[in-house]
Amino acid sequence: MKRLDLNTLITLILCFICFSFIILPILHLFTGLEGESFWASVRDAEVWSAIWISFVAAGFSTVMGLILGVPTGFLLARRRFRGREFLESITNLPIVIPHVAVGIILLDLLNENSSVGSLFSRLGISFVDTIYGIVAAMCLVSISYIISSSIMGFRAVDPELEWTARSLGASPWYTFTRVTLPLVFPYLLRGSILSFARAVSEVGALLILAYYPKTAPILLYERFENYGLKSAKPIAALVILLSLFLFTLLVLTSTPKRGERDVS
Amino acid sequence: MFLKARIKRKLPHFTLDLYLELRPKDYTVMIGPSGAGKSMTLKILAGLEEALDQKVLLNGKDISALPPERRGIVYLPQGNSLFPHLSVFENLLFVFKARKIPINKAFLDKVIDSFGIRHLLKRKPQNLSGGETQRVALARAICANPQVLLLDEPLAFLDFHLKLELVAFLQKLPTEYQITVLHVTHDPIEAALLAKRIYLLRQGQIVFTGNFEEFLREAPEGLANKDQVADIPGYARFWAKALRE
Repeated sequence: MKRLDLNTLITLILCFICFSFIILPILHLFTGLEGESFWASVRDAEVWSAIWISFVAAGFSTVMGLILGVPTGFLLARRRFRGREFLESITNLPIVIPHVAVGIILLDLLNENSSVGSLFSRLGISFVDTIYGIVAAMCLVSISYIISSSIMGFRAVDPELEWTARSLGASPWYTFTRVTLPLVFPYLLRGSILSFARAVSEVGALLILAYYPKTAPILLYERFENYGLKSAKPIAALVILLSLFLFTLLVLTSTPKRGERDVS
Repeated sequence: MFLKARIKRKLPHFTLDLYLELRPKDYTVMIGPSGAGKSMTLKILAGLEEALDQKVLLNGKDISALPPERRGIVYLPQGNSLFPHLSVFENLLFVFKARKIPINKAFLDKVIDSFGIRHLLKRKPQNLSGGETQRVALARAICANPQVLLLDEPLAFLDFHLKLELVAFLQKLPTEYQITVLHVTHDPIEAALLAKRIYLLRQGQIVFTGNFEEFLREAPEGLANKDQVADIPGYARFWAKALRE
């Protein structure tokens, strides 16, 4: 029998602790859950409304992040210009700034008395306590994931492949859509999943800018504040189950199927 | 003369400054040590890199300002240039789709059989051997129906027997497909096996032009130094002498 050396043993133990750290709290939540209160949450219309708002707003935020973040990632990955590294570090700012501070910044910038806020309000868009505010806050706290994944993706594509495509007769647009983008797609998908996950779980900025309409984390926070742990736990379990289901679905649809790599 | 090109480009340690001519349906090998400017020459000819000054005439027509896709010149880079997200067959079809031209099935079938890749059509490039990859890449380049094919070290990283196998396919390019070929390498054996005409490139300058016999007789030797135990003509002469003996 193969004997474990000390290095492998230490690695395995650390790995076990790491997985336990991730999984045990979730398991603990489900094992301590009362069936009756869980089913009450499942039947609670306010819970479903909050979950719906969370997922729809996170979806819009991710799409907006892709529209703005992919061209930005492309530019930062492919063009050489002065200040590129500085701009690249700025794209990570939203991860560094505490999210309550993000909420305060956005409230200050987008309230209807500010110049930017009044400009939007003339277009009928208000950010305080509206779905627009939720999407704006979610997008700001999560767009960094899409930008960094795009940068990594565009840098990972070998320019020789794009040159080959051009030389074989492809226009720059055809090369981008049929060679570059498919190769960057796994990176964009990963960035989108992370961005969506970050957006769904956002609380700090929403507490300040858009408490209403309530998203699932805001409702969770409110139930915990008003009624305590027992009332918040079933909703937490439901949100976790739905998130796990959604992310498993995304991961399964984005992973190459067995045999797809080689169909011969 | 089929293709005439004068190109000038500043490189980190020297200036690439050369004039070359390719005859129709000739197999020309540009030989030179690593870093002599061979790959850059191909990329400039293909329109993929800018030059300080360039004049590229193909059949008398100035193509210097044309984008790569409209030059009629196909460039095959060193290493695996197959699109990894497409199967071998999709890689071949890419050429027709990119040019928005109908798929010439008879021609495609001829190329597939000629390069012996029918059994590979459904595979993804990552599941091909080095020799198979290069055969598919050549077949794909031929599907683009180029007037000139630029090959950047197509035999690099291949075992000796795979090199010989691929040489047989490369020899078909001018005869069977009427393609003018410029092949760059640092290996004089490839030149011996394939070249009708040889250019010797050193530090961005062409220092010799001629056939292989003339190359053995006349090509000037470069200085051997600690990084370069023997210059290419010296290396070629050594092996030619050894084989004769």
